[in-house]
Order: sequence, then structure tokens, then C-alpha cells
Amino acid sequence: MSVQTEGTDTAGEPAVRKARVPAPPRGDGRSPGAPSRRHAAAPYLLLLPALLATAVLLGWPLVKNGMLSFQNLNPRQLIQHLTEWNGVDNYQEVLSGDDFWRVVGRSVVFTAANVVLIMVLGTLVGLLLARLGKKMRLLLMVGLVLAWAMPVIAATTVYQWLFAQRFGVVNWVLDKLGWHSMADHNWLQTQFSTFAVVTLLIVWQSIPFVAINLYAATTTIPKELYEAASLDGAGAWKGFTSVTLPFLRPFLYATTFLEVIWVFKSFAQIFAMNQGGPDHLTETLPIYAYVEGVGNQHFGVGAAISFLTILVLLAITSYYLRMVLKQEEDEL
Amino acid sequence: MKRKLAAAIVIAGMMVSVSACGGDDGDDKNAGPDSFKGQTLTVWAMDGSTPDQWVKDVTAAFEKKTGAKLKFETQKWDGIQQKITTALSESNPPDVLEVGNTQTPAYAATGGLADLSDLKKEIGADWTPSVSQSSVYDGKQYAAPWYFTNRVVIYNKKIWAKAGIKDTPKTRDEFFKDLETIGKKTDAEPIYLPGQNWYFFDGLTIGQGADLVKKEGDKYVSNLGDPKVAKAMEIYKKYASYSKAPKDKDEATPQQAEVFAKGNTGAFIGMGWEAGTAVAANKAIEKDLGYFTIPGETPDKPEGVFLGGSNLAVAQGSEKQALAKEFLKIALSDQYEGQLAKLNGVIPNKKSLESNLKGNAVAEAAVPGSAVGGTTPLIPEWGAVENNPNPIKSYMTAVLNGKSPADAAKQVEDEINKRLAQQN
Amino acid sequence: MKRSLFGRIWPGATAVVLFAGFVFPVYWMFATAFKPTGDIIADDPVWFPTNATLEHFQKAVDADHFWTLVLNSVTVTALSVVFSLVIALFAAFALTRMRFKGRRGLIVTFMLAQMAPWEVMIIAIYMIVRDNDMLDSLVPLTVFYTMMVLPLTILTLRGYVAAVPKELEESAMVDGCTRLQAFVKVIFPLLAPGLMATSLFGFITAWNEFPLVLILNKDAEKQTLPLWLSQFQTAFGDDWGATMAASSLFALPILILFIFLQRKAVSGLTDGAVKG
Repeated sequence: MSVQTEGTDTAGEPAVRKARVPAPPRGDGRSPGAPSRRHAAAPYLLLLPALLATAVLLGWPLVKNGMLSFQNLNPRQLIQHLTEWNGVDNYQEVLSGDDFWRVVGRSVVFTAANVVLIMVLGTLVGLLLARLGKKMRLLLMVGLVLAWAMPVIAATTVYQWLFAQRFGVVNWVLDKLGWHSMADHNWLQTQFSTFAVVTLLIVWQSIPFVAINLYAATTTIPKELYEAASLDGAGAWKGFTSVTLPFLRPFLYATTFLEVIWVFKSFAQIFAMNQGGPDHLTETLPIYAYVEGVGNQHFGVGAAISFLTILVLLAITSYYLRMVLKQEEDEL
Repeated sequence: MKRKLAAAIVIAGMMVSVSACGGDDGDDKNAGPDSFKGQTLTVWAMDGSTPDQWVKDVTAAFEKKTGAKLKFETQKWDGIQQKITTALSESNPPDVLEVGNTQTPAYAATGGLADLSDLKKEIGADWTPSVSQSSVYDGKQYAAPWYFTNRVVIYNKKIWAKAGIKDTPKTRDEFFKDLETIGKKTDAEPIYLPGQNWYFFDGLTIGQGADLVKKEGDKYVSNLGDPKVAKAMEIYKKYASYSKAPKDKDEATPQQAEVFAKGNTGAFIGMGWEAGTAVAANKAIEKDLGYFTIPGETPDKPEGVFLGGSNLAVAQGSEKQALAKEFLKIALSDQYEGQLAKLNGVIPNKKSLESNLKGNAVAEAAVPGSAVGGTTPLIPEWGAVENNPNPIKSYMTAVLNGKSPADAAKQVEDEINKRLAQQN
Repeated sequence: MKRSLFGRIWPGATAVVLFAGFVFPVYWMFATAFKPTGDIIADDPVWFPTNATLEHFQKAVDADHFWTLVLNSVTVTALSVVFSLVIALFAAFALTRMRFKGRRGLIVTFMLAQMAPWEVMIIAIYMIVRDNDMLDSLVPLTVFYTMMVLPLTILTLRGYVAAVPKELEESAMVDGCTRLQAFVKVIFPLLAPGLMATSLFGFITAWNEFPLVLILNKDAEKQTLPLWLSQFQTAFGDDWGATMAASSLFALPILILFIFLQRKAVSGLTDGAVKG
């Protein structure tokens, strides 16, 4: 359930990472290699705890999950500790229906819509922060941080309350604004409006991460760059496209990557809002896996879906991962 | 179903004006063997099932008789299936657990519940057959029937008086006529019935003698297209035509009792405890509350109802089988079964104990219905059908939105069949 | 003229509107929590809790085992944050400051680990924990929460470590410090704001986690606060007053922590990093 608020990561990373780029390699390659060969094992030792933890705490469940996906595992088998291998039956069942592919398509569209909204609006708010005076900036910052910090379960609950059919404040406002048919409107009635509420929730919680980090990053842009640009006769827009945007590009890539992962993995927001309803129509891949596996107690099928979910996520992010691989190569 | 039924039975209990049910000073003369000393029996009961006084008295009797300790752990309804399934798979499961009557066959089929056929011979000769039947699977008794409830009509006397109606209806047609009158003569909503009150609908199908599933070869398939089911749905639609409630919501969102509590609704169909919810939301409604049995086609036979309830089962993995049975013998004895019925206003597992409900207006309205009550299909595969989102609820909404019952049934039958076909 | 006035005013005006939009849900949560039930289900919303009451908070706090759950949540959250920070700091240091074979692959590995959809693996995790007799314990929760936040913590800290100029480390080493001493004396203090900022992510994740604790710990005294939070919203229908009171209590520590650490983080980053 925790996933989306992972968006509430830190102000630090991308901005800082960016900060070192304009100031080119200072150590000119001597220092990273560090003293000598006798320390060749050092990096591996330092990485050992992290690798061990990953292998045991993530690798093991993944392998176990993979094994379960080839088993017929229902309450009877779980309770009696039976292992019934059934080959690729689970995968066959999932992939032969059109449910799965519909859910994949829906997940992709849902992720894309949310990420675009988050990145565009987040960037705009971030640029606005940079433009504001001190007092106004502080005010907006406070608002952003409060939204950002809301634990996702609490936030989802609050949104359910805001959009509640009876006594929900949103319906009341719409009614008073003259849209009387909204007086007792049920927001969770259709696929589209359920997604609309979920999207509003996710975007509301995610904009602060993008905006505040982007603002922090802009403060590290050397003023001289703008001065040089304006000497060249560039207007505000030109300044933005020729200085700000290129400077922020790596930051924007990294943030988009994270948002794609977070939005795609959103669980609590969708599940708590309407359990993937109405009629399964707001199930994205993680919800689908959970409903089929845990909800219907077909754990083997659920395991197969979750494995496929991981593959889909890999496919979606592969572009960025390839880029990182290349880029890290360049850096070395 | 269970969550609603159970939850606030507490509240119902409060309403039943409890006179401190004494009598815990035992008439168990034969103090049991000391062999159980030092053991602790863990019992999972659902939220709202066990009134404090009952727990206290049963615990005292149990500890006196066996010398062992008794520990009640109250369970929440949310995610209970997953919790029970996993718990039964563990090395240290709860010894005794409350299981919803409609879910009992599914758990029996997993092998997680102990066979209680011996116990049935010993203490279950006079269990009401209609409530005991849900614990039978493959000819064996996998649980003991514990308590049951069913829906009644809860109405607002003031509104009915304002409409000039003197008596409560004895037949369905009379009821419709009364609702019509309320609609004409008052500005109240005659009845609050959301489109997805699925257990009320289930009751209507029971009243029509319809089956929701049928056997095809060795498999169960949906029988939603049956004309009898359609007939039940037509009745539901007629009821819903007197309501402005949303067609795609069930009775819990919003809580129908809270809507009713505002005093502008003639009636709703609900569990006894929901009256308590209404009073909690608006104290002023209390004096206007009335109850009657849901009327059927003819005055002599009330409408069919869904008999929700709970059984008590023993985990197969429990190492304290004998002790668990001792507990069941005490908890289900006439004394404590009767006490539970009285405190919670629920229908006990034997006809002879129904006298405990005297003076409880809600329970008295419920008892006639329970005589013609039934359940959902008692097959292990059924549980999956009711998983959220419940396709039958989609069917109901579709019909209320204008689809013909036959078309609406076609629309969801694939989903139902898919769920029924899932392996266990 | 008019235009320039508009030009001066719109950023502030937009900021105010945005502020209201972002704050309102949070405000409404607190406001609802303080309102008597009659005001909560009033036909016209009561905008300010003028008849403030603490009954909903009372109800929320009176729930069974509340304080035990608070203690559990704090323990699990704090431990997993500390563990992940320590492990991640080692890893981040190696990944940014050292050159070795397989470095790129490892970075991508952690990126992949960040993608793990934990919610859909809970049955696998459950079976592992069950078969190792670790149910109803805070230990598996702590270690799995540590793992949930570890990848992003590593990736984030990498940025902070990289922002500390290498010259500082080198000059310290010239001054006769060992690499370890250089790290402890020079780099670590500079990293402190970054560590704090990074820890926020861990706090939030561990504090919020729900499906895993639900399935692993059936013993009511070994559970955490998200389970408590969910109980006001189910069986009896929605008790919005109690739900909002519980949500408020649940959110409060994180809100406070955020406001405190966030300022440190941003200023630490903008000043500290650039100054260095």
C-alpha cells in the first residue's frame, strides 16, 4: 500500500546529481581509482550488505513467486502444504483470456496520463516557485509539503470522504455552483470518473515532489548562463528553452522514470478507493494480480500475473534503463 | 453478508434492554478432569458476535469445568477470508473459529476444518435442520450452527401515520399499496432500497423457489437466466421503483440506516442491528421505529429471506481437539446459546430456544421469516462468486437501469461460470 | 499599465489558489476530525469546526492495543530507516567514489530492485516467513521494510555523496587521514542533511505499509498502525469522524517530520552542496 508515497522521496537526489554536472570532472580520473590494488576488494565489501539484503529479501521472494506461478495453489493446497505443479497452466489461463491484455493496456494509459499530468503541472509549479517572492514561495511550499507528506492511506481515505456521495463536500460545491445533477453524484459509478478521482489524488500527491525538486534544481543554474543568453538577445521563452530546459534535462528524465514506476505500482489509491471497480474496470496490473491471487484465493494464478506485471514494467522502463547503462558508461 | 450481520449486533444487543443475565454460578456438578490444566484455548469470534456478558459467563463455566484458560480474539471483517485461510495453514492456528455459514462448505473442502460428526450426535440432535445444513459437506458435519439473523422491514411510524396507514401490511401487494400511499400523501421517500441490496434479492429468489446455480454434468453453472430468478428481480425492481436510492450501490454505502435516520424515509429492509445505527445517528428517530416481517405473496407465508449466520468450527491443525469440543459443548448448551440469542437478539440454533427472543420487537419480526429462510448455494465454489465485484450485483444494477433480466443475466453469466469453475 | 499590474499579481494569485488546492484535503481531514457527528453529516458542510469535540479522537485512541501499535510502528519504522541508511551509505559510497568491475550493472540492479511490486508478492513472502516460523514477529517486517526502501535510498544517497567535492576527501587524506577517517570526519558531516532527507522516504514507506503486516502478523499485539487506521471504515459503514481523527493522528508524525526535515533537506542541498 505504501507505494505511491514513495514519491515523497527526497528533495535531494536529482538536484544534487545535476549540480555536479556543470562543474566538470574535477578529479580527472585519478581519484576514483583511488590508492592501489590492495584496496581492490573494498568496493565489493562496501556493497556486500546491500547485495546480500537484495539477494535474500528480494531475490528469494522473487524466486519463490516464480515457483508458485507454476503451481496449482488454492486454499486447499496452502492449508495442507501441498505442492501441485501444473506447468504453464497458470500462464496459459492468464494469457489466453483477453482480460489480461485489456488490463495491460489500461495500466499503460493510466500511467501515461498520470505521469504526463504530474510532469507538466509539476514543472509549471516548480517554475512558479522560482518566480515567486520569498513570502509567497514559503506559503506555496508549505501547501506542497503538506500534500506531499500525507501518508497514502490517510490521503486516500480523505479523498473518499471529499468525494463521498452523500455529505461529500465536492458534490455540495458542484451543486451550489449550479450543477444540480451532481448533488448526489456517485463518483465511483463509472470507470472514467473513478479514474478521475484516483488521478486527482495521485497527481495532487506527486506534484510536490517534482515541483520542489525542480525548484531546488533551478536554484543551482548559474546566473551567468542566463546573462549570456540575454546578451544574445534571447527572450524569456528562449531563455527557458536554451538554458533552463537543457540544464534540467537529466533531472527530468530521472524524475519521469521514478514517477512511471510509482504510478504504475499505485496500489492503495486504486484498491482502497473502489477495489478496482466498478466491474473490474479500474484494475491496473498490480490490482488485477492482487484481486485474482489474494482476493479470489488463486495464489498460483496471482503469482503468474505478478510475474507478468514485472515483465511489463521492465518493458515500459527499458528505454530509460538502457539510457542509464549507456550514460554510466560514458561517465567512466 | 457476514460483515453487516455481525458487525453491530453489539448495538442490537444494547437495544434489547438487557437485564443482567445472571446464572453463571454453575450447575455443572461434574468438575471436569484436570488433564486440561495449563492449556489455553484460543477462539476467534467476529466483531460483534460475542457480548461481554456472554464471554464472561462462558469463560467462567469453561474454566471451571476444564481447568484450562479461554482466550477470545475478536476478528475484523475486512480481509477475513485471507486471514482464516492463512491461519488454518499455520502450525499454531486458532483452536475454534467462527465461520460464516455460507463460507463453511468452502473451508470444509480445504481440509482445514475438523470433522465434528461425533459432536453432532452428542449435542446436535435438535439443531434446526435449515441452519445446520450449511455445516455439512460430503456427508460430514464440519461445524456447529451457532446463531442466525435475517432481514425485516424497519419503518418510520410517524410517516406511516401521516399517510393514514393504520396497520402493517400482511401481503406484498398490500405493502406496495402502502408505499404508493406514502409517496402520494407525504413528501417522504416511501422506501430506501439501493440497487445492490443483494441479500434481500437472494431472499426474494428463495421466496420464488429459484436456484442461483444448477448442475451441468459434474459442474455447477449459473442459473441466473431462470424465469424464477427473473420473477424475483421483477419484485425487487418494483420495490426499488419507490426509492430514489442509487441503483449501483449496496446498503452500506451510504449506510441505509443513516439515511433512514434523517426521518424522511418511510422504511428500509435491514437487519435488526441497523435500527441501532439509525438511533446512533439521530436519537429522535427512536420513538418512531417499528418492525414487521417482510410480507410475502400470501398472508400465511412471509417473504423468503436470506438466513445469515455463523457456525463454530474447530481447526484441523489444532492440537487441542478434545478441549475445543468441551468448549463447543458449553458455548452451545441451552443455557449459553439461549443467553446469546437473548443478548444479541439473534435466532438460536434450536427452535426450543426461540422463547429467549420474547419482548425483542426486531427479533420477533424476524422469526417468522427465518422459518422460510434459506442461504446462498451451499457449494464450496460459491464463495468466489460473491467476491468483489459481485457479478450478481452488476446484474441487479443492469436490470434496474432498464435491461431485461434475461439480457442482464447473459451479460454476467460468463463471469459467474468462470468463478464457479475455479479449482479449489 | 493594466497588463504590468496583472503581470505582477498573477504569480502570487496563482500561488494562493494552488496553496488552497493543496492544503484543502489536509485541512478537511483535521476539520472533520474535530466536528461532532451531526455537523459531519449536515446537509450544508460546516466549514469550521466551531463546536469542536474530541470524541472522535477519543474513540480512535481507545481502540484496542492502540499504544502497543504505536510502539510497534515506531520501532519497525525507525529500525528499517536506520538499517537502510547504513547499508545504503556503504553502497552509495562505493558506487560513486570507486571504480570497479560490474559497477554499472549494480546500479541498474538497484534500479530494477526499486521496481519490485511488493504488494503482489505477499503470498510468496508469507510462505517464506511461515515456513521459517517467523510469523507474529516484528523482525520480518523490519527486514522487509528495510529492503523496500533500500534501492531508492542507495540511488538517492549516490547523488549526495557525489555532491561532496572529492578535493575535501583528498586533502584530508593528504593531511594523514586514512580513507575511513576522511569519510567520518569530512564527508559524513556534509552528508547529514542528505541522510535526513533520504530518511523521509523510508519513514513514509514503512509507516504506511499495510498488506504485508496484515498477512504476517495476526497477533493483535504485533500489528502496526495502518491496520488500526483501517478499522474505522469497514464493518459499520463509514464512521467518517473517527476515520478522519485516526487519519489525522496517523498523518501527524509524518507531517511534522516532513516540515522539519524538508527545510533542512532543501537548504542543506542548495547551500551545502553548492558551497562545498
